[in-house]
Amino acid sequence: MWPSPPALAAVTDFGYVPHAVLGCYLLALIGIGVVGFLRSKATEEDYYLAGRRQGFIVTALTCMATFFSSFALLGAAGVVYKDGLAYFLFALNLPVSGGAVYILGSRISRLGRAKGYVTPADMVADYYGSSVALRILVALVGFLYVVPYVVMQIRAGGYLADRMFPDVRPVTILGDRWDMFALGSTAMSIIMMLYIIVGGMRSVAWADVVQGTLLMLGMVLAGLATMAALGGVGGYFREVSKLPTESLSLPGLSGAWPAWKLMTVCMFASSASMIQPGQWMRYYAARSSNTLRRSALIFAALLGCCYLFGIMFVGLGAKRLYPLHDDQGRYCFKVAANNPQTEKVKKWIDPKTQKVDWKNLLPNPRVGQKPEEVDQVVIAVIQDERHGLPKLLGPIGVVVACIILVAILAASTSTADSNLHALSGVLTRDVYDRFVHPGAGQKERAWVGRGIIVAATLLALWLVHKSKWDPYFQPLQLIAKLGFVAMGFSCQLLPITIDMLFVRRGTRPGAIAGMIAGIGVVFFFTPFPQMMTGAAGAAGKVYSLFDELKRLFDIGFCGFVVNVAVFFLVSLFTKRPDPQRVGDMARIMDGKKD
Amino acid sequence: MTEERSTNRSRLPAVLAVIFLIALFMGPGPGIYLINPDPGDPATRRVVLGMPVVYVWAISWFFVQLAVVVIAYFKLWSRQED
Repeated sequence: MWPSPPALAAVTDFGYVPHAVLGCYLLALIGIGVVGFLRSKATEEDYYLAGRRQGFIVTALTCMATFFSSFALLGAAGVVYKDGLAYFLFALNLPVSGGAVYILGSRISRLGRAKGYVTPADMVADYYGSSVALRILVALVGFLYVVPYVVMQIRAGGYLADRMFPDVRPVTILGDRWDMFALGSTAMSIIMMLYIIVGGMRSVAWADVVQGTLLMLGMVLAGLATMAALGGVGGYFREVSKLPTESLSLPGLSGAWPAWKLMTVCMFASSASMIQPGQWMRYYAARSSNTLRRSALIFAALLGCCYLFGIMFVGLGAKRLYPLHDDQGRYCFKVAANNPQTEKVKKWIDPKTQKVDWKNLLPNPRVGQKPEEVDQVVIAVIQDERHGLPKLLGPIGVVVACIILVAILAASTSTADSNLHALSGVLTRDVYDRFVHPGAGQKERAWVGRGIIVAATLLALWLVHKSKWDPYFQPLQLIAKLGFVAMGFSCQLLPITIDMLFVRRGTRPGAIAGMIAGIGVVFFFTPFPQMMTGAAGAAGKVYSLFDELKRLFDIGFCGFVVNVAVFFLVSLFTKRPDPQRVGDMARIMDGKKD
Repeated sequence: MTEERSTNRSRLPAVLAVIFLIALFMGPGPGIYLINPDPGDPATRRVVLGMPVVYVWAISWFFVQLAVVVIAYFKLWSRQED
């Protein structure tokens, strides 16, 4: 049995404060959209790159806000709550990402400014002298990264609205019943769509400044609230030191975090995130290399501290506040039942004596009712009437708690808006302008980009709503599965990025072959090949090998190794790009010529 | 004297890169098994300085990484406006 009373209703009533805080936040976003529009010019460069004039505070905060989705506040704390201290080490990816902002970003920025690039594919295709194949591959990698993120963040926004306003009754609009999930996800999407359409990159980046600030504030405040709930710094560490050794060591309670996996995630998944289209376009938008230099330092120092001294504390402290195990060291698991009405759907199991499937571990009922609800732990901590912020700080605590809740929503919005904007750039520049209507003017391309944002937002919203009412609706499930390997796909851009910026020995056929091989390897980590061929016989052995690789290493790293090997071998036997052009580009990237 | 300073400066990127990679190997990488508590050993060291040993290890290597970034910021990365 749960050691603490699982009283589900023990959440603080915040009254109308969440409505007021959320209202202020949404009004601020609309205001940013309007100001962005008033400052804009009718050119493609202005719409996608804010005229390449972004300063270091905006660049730093927009890179941070784009980097962190709602996972930063909900998912990370949830993983620590489930697996323990092992996941703290994930925070060591942040200096890697911060360093990438300057080391990769400054060279990308210099060349982008000199040559007028807008998307990653513009630069790759120009460098390797390929107008079709490589451009399509780079655009495809960007597409595979961006789409799942947009859809998942809109869905997360709906769930958060549902959790923030649990007592709001459904309303009927045009004969349809709209609950808080539908209203929240729709409001978030429409407001986001409006400020991207009217203000472009300028509005997205300024919105990211607000959202990034809220995000960091939320991470630190949630950590402080958890510490306070456990009796301050001393009390906190005394309490967490009592946790079982499995929760204080690698590979974590469920065994999901062996050291090689953590290290390759820190190196490759974080680098992959820093070269996805949204970030790449932010490097083009920066005013100068000096801007990126300052942004890199802010990114590495601030985000790392927010993680290690903020949000991660929530997950670990929650293991004491809402224990996952009983007094005998048994954990509660969800089990399959033919008839849930008559059979038990929960079972207490001691993992030391019986094999368990950790995916089915149930959180403490104060946190959630389903295995996937471990990531509600931040919300549980701040709303808990026994030791939440309102209890600790009184009326100010209610406001602070609401700011954290809005920060979680901001984290979703900041990732979705940047990715939607980048998706529009990629489809307009790399598909429409090259294959649909070559030679289209700047104004036309900017309007096509806006049309893509509207279409993508409405499509994502429809997918999210449809899947909410129909759990067997396949497209969203498939997109969600793609989301798990999105960074793996993006990582396949890393070898050609390093080659263009530093090594300069690769060839166009090498780059194409390497990317196809890397994308192919990552594809094998998705469930799709298994769905196509079944898991019996030799195919089953191959899939179990990929499962084992996934357990030991980052998925992107596995693709990266194959990608680099193929890129190197093919480049040995094929013709290099024009040395004159490469030399000129190298001088610009190295800052020797503009 | 000037030549020596110039040589030291040209070695700095490599030195910093090596330190950064060591920090990645030791922090989230296999180096952690030097201090990782063993759940099967009741006498295993779980706490140091009043904090879980893995946490102390993580923040130590995080600050090494951050120090590398700060040194690179001041000594290596170009301050020029393009």
